[in-house]
Amino acid sequence: MTDFAGLLRVLNESGVEFILIGGVAAAVHGAIRTTRDLDVVYARTSENFARLAGALAPLNAYLRGAPPGLPFHWDVQTIAHGLNFTLDTSLGEIDVLGEIVGGGSYDQLKSHCVKVSAFGTECLCVDLDTLIWVKRAAGRPKDFEAIAELEALREESQRSE
Amino acid sequence: MHELSSDLWTDPVIEAYKRDVDRTLLRHALRLTPEQRLVELQRLVEFAEELRRAGREAKRRP
Repeated sequence: MTDFAGLLRVLNESGVEFILIGGVAAAVHGAIRTTRDLDVVYARTSENFARLAGALAPLNAYLRGAPPGLPFHWDVQTIAHGLNFTLDTSLGEIDVLGEIVGGGSYDQLKSHCVKVSAFGTECLCVDLDTLIWVKRAAGRPKDFEAIAELEALREESQRSE
Repeated sequence: MHELSSDLWTDPVIEAYKRDVDRTLLRHALRLTPEQRLVELQRLVEFAEELRRAGREAKRRP
């Protein structure tokens, strides 16, 4: 089971530059659907690789679903040579993404974010319009219900403004 | 990336799904702070995990 608050605290305390996306971002905006993992887009800089490695290595980050015993080490080199990682950690499941379909990189998403305060920390969360856009761009039938909920949320937010 | 707000188009498939969205729950969620929404998400995840555990245990019983 994923400890969302715990993972957010670890990323923040390590100074990782990241943006919340996916189901947790949807929950931040008011969606009521649940999710099992934390999805973040991280900045692809060498400084941030080091912060990300330092943040998740102590949590025994390992490729989710991979057989045990693979020569996988969550370190700067692994992050630099890869892009998107789906990980299991001692605080639960986290998807660490360098790029997402329809949204691009951290730098491209950064201007489409809101600042969120939660659990004593502050982090960037992709805004509702962008979240809808990204889900639509992914084009997965399993997202249809989620997109419908996000669009309904947008309508309800506009109505209550 | 595209200019997002102006590019949001109406999709008939999504519109069909939208008819089944329970907006009373969304209105409740919109009254909460982002942190309260995340706390509710965490509670739901814990509840679902407990149900899975109970289901596994029930299957093991003779």
